[in-house]
Amino acid sequence: MSLAYSDLLQLFKFHPGWRLLRADNAPLILSFLDKTFIEPNVRTISQSDLIARLEDTLYELHQSQNTEHYPRSASAYLEEWAHDSKGWLRKYYPDDSDEPHFDLTPATEKVIGWLESLSGHAFIGTESRLMTIFELLRQMVIGTETDEATRIEALEAEKAHIDRQIEAIRNGEMPLLDETALRERFMQFSTMSNDLRSDFRAVEENFRKLDLQVREKIALFEGSKGELLEEVFGERDAITDSDQGRSFKTFWDFLMSPSSQEEFSELLEKVFSMDCIRISKPDGRLKRIHFDWLEAGEKTQRTVASLSQQLRRYLDNQAYLENKRIMSILDTISQGALKVKHSMPKNRTFMTLDKISPEIQLIMERPLYKPTAKVDLSSVIREANEEVFDSEALFNQIYIDRAELEANIRRELQTVSQITLSALIEKYPLHKGLAELLCYVSIASAGKLSVFDEENEESVCWEDSKGRLRKAMLPRIIFNRS
Amino acid sequence: MSDQTQPDKAFSRVMINLLKGVIYAEEEPKLWQQLLNLQARVRDYAKQIGLSLEISEEEGFAWLKTIDEQEEGEEMPRLISRRQLSYPVSLLLALLRRRLAEHDATSSDNRLILSKNDVIEMITTFLPSGSNEVKIVNQVESYLKKIADMGFIRYLRSDKDTIEVRRILKVFIDAQWLNEFDLRIKEYLLSGRGAEDE
Repeated sequence: MSLAYSDLLQLFKFHPGWRLLRADNAPLILSFLDKTFIEPNVRTISQSDLIARLEDTLYELHQSQNTEHYPRSASAYLEEWAHDSKGWLRKYYPDDSDEPHFDLTPATEKVIGWLESLSGHAFIGTESRLMTIFELLRQMVIGTETDEATRIEALEAEKAHIDRQIEAIRNGEMPLLDETALRERFMQFSTMSNDLRSDFRAVEENFRKLDLQVREKIALFEGSKGELLEEVFGERDAITDSDQGRSFKTFWDFLMSPSSQEEFSELLEKVFSMDCIRISKPDGRLKRIHFDWLEAGEKTQRTVASLSQQLRRYLDNQAYLENKRIMSILDTISQGALKVKHSMPKNRTFMTLDKISPEIQLIMERPLYKPTAKVDLSSVIREANEEVFDSEALFNQIYIDRAELEANIRRELQTVSQITLSALIEKYPLHKGLAELLCYVSIASAGKLSVFDEENEESVCWEDSKGRLRKAMLPRIIFNRS
Repeated sequence: MSDQTQPDKAFSRVMINLLKGVIYAEEEPKLWQQLLNLQARVRDYAKQIGLSLEISEEEGFAWLKTIDEQEEGEEMPRLISRRQLSYPVSLLLALLRRRLAEHDATSSDNRLILSKNDVIEMITTFLPSGSNEVKIVNQVESYLKKIADMGFIRYLRSDKDTIEVRRILKVFIDAQWLNEFDLRIKEYLLSGRGAEDE
C-alpha cells in the first residue's frame, strides 16, 4: 500500500475506518460499539437489542452531560451507521429470523484496535519480538529445505544446543528468564491473543469477498458449463482451498484438538500463577482466550461452510445459466417497458400465471349470512359508591380457567384410578405459573376424594413469563377416582 | 395398529398442506422430511387428480403443478386455475425476478430482502412521471399486496415496510414466461397503442 497523496485522499474519503475517525460523533460510536461488541466478544446482536442498548447509552449521556448532544433516535443512528455510505456496521438477516441483526465491520474493529494502541503500553518489549521473528525465519528456511543432509545438520545443531543446556543444568547453572523478560513476553502474548480474536471478523469478510469474486466470475463467464466448472473449481473448492481457507482450517483443527486445548489451558494456568505476572494484574479474560477463539472461530467456520455450499448449489442447479438468459430477456423487457411508459396497457389481463396451488372451495363450507350483532356502545359512568366498589377485579388480572383444570383431572382419572398433582402437571404443564398451581390446590382441597399427604413432599416446576425456571415444594396431593 | 395409522396421518398432512400451498423446508422441517419420505405416494396421488409434484431439494421447497399432457385429445379440467395479471403487476413480477437473479449472482445470502422504498425506486422508472408521489406509493403498495396474495413475497413480521422475495418466484417467473411478456409488449407497441408519444 503506497501512501501517495492520491491514494491517501481516496482512503480519506472512502475508507469506512478513516471516515469513522472523521465522524463528528466518533467518540459516541466507538465507545458504544467497543462496549457492545469488542469487550464482551459478541458477534451478532438483534436490532431490537442493539437499539435498546444504544437508547440506554444515549440516556446516560444526556443525564451526565446535561445536554442534548445527540438529538436523534437510537434507531436512526443505527440505520446511519449500517448504511452503505458509512459501512461501520454490517446489517443482515440470519436465515432463521425476520429481524435484522448487526455485527461490526472489520474496518470498525481496526479503528478500535488502533485507538487502543494509542493509549500506549508501559513499555514495549523488543526482545521477545526479535525472538519471535528469528523463530519465524528459522521455520521458513528449515521447513522448505529439501536436502536431507542440510536438514539433519540443522537438527543436529539444535540437538547439540539442547545437550549443552542439559550439561549446564547438571553443572548447576540454571539460566532463568528474569522478570522483565517474563513481563515482556506476557505482554506480547496478550496483544497477539487479542489480535487473533479480532482477526476473525476480517477472516470472515475475506471469505465473503472470495465468494463474491467467484460469483462475479460466474456471471461474466462466456462458455460451456464444463469450462466454467474447471475454471472455478478445478480440483479445488474455491473457498475451502484458498490460502485463507487452508490456514483457517489448520488453525481450527489445532484449536479443536483436545490435546492442544489441554496443553494450552495448562500453560495458561502456570503462567498466570507466576508471581511477577500476578502482580501486574493481567486481564482475567486472557485466561479463557482460547474459548473466545473457539466461539469466534465457530461463527467463521459456519460462514465458510454455508458459503461453499451455496456456491455449489448455485452452480449445480444451473441457476446461473437460467439467470443469464433471464437477464438478457429482462433487458429487452425494460426497453419495451420504457416505451409504453406513458400509455401503459390498461386491460385487466396482460399476462396470466398459474396459481401457486390449487384452490379447493367446498360449497357447504361457505359461511351463511349472519346479521351482525349490534353492540350498544353508549356508556354511562356511574358515580363511585365507596362501599360497593370491589377492587378485586383490578388485581385479578390473570384469569385461570378452573373448569379446564378440573377437566384435566377428570380426563386423567378416566385411565388411572389415582394420580398425583406433580404427575398431572407433567402432562399439563403450568402456563400461568403459581396462580394456576394454587388453583389446582384449591380444587384438591374442595374435592372430597383428594388426599393431602403431609409426610411426603413433591416439587413442581414451571417456566415463568420470562422463561426462568420456577420450582415449588408442596405436600404430595393425590386425586382419586372413587 | 398405530403403525398403520401414523404414516397415513403423515401422508394426509403432507397432501393437504401441498394442496394449500408451497411447503418450505426451512419453515416446516418436520413436514418437509415427511414429504421426502412419502414422495412416491404423494406423486401417485397427485397424478390421479391431474397434478404433478415438483420438489426443489437444493432450494428447499415443493409445490404442485398441473400436468400438461393432453391424453387422447381429452382435456382434463384444471384443478389449478390461472391468475390474470394486469400490466403493472406483471412488470413488477419481472423486476422482482431480476432482483433475485442479481442477488444470486452477487451475494451468498439466501434470502432477498427489500424495503418498500427499494421497490418503489425500482418501478418508478417505468411508470409515467408526473403523477403524484403519494399516488405512486399507494399503487405500488396495492401491487405488492396482490403479489403477496399470490405467495411470491411476504411481509416481514418485524417490519411492514420490508418484504422478502420468496425463492419460489424463480420457478413461476421463468425464461419462458418472461419471453412471452416481452412479446406481448412488442405486440402492444406494434399495434400502435403504446408508441404514440415516442
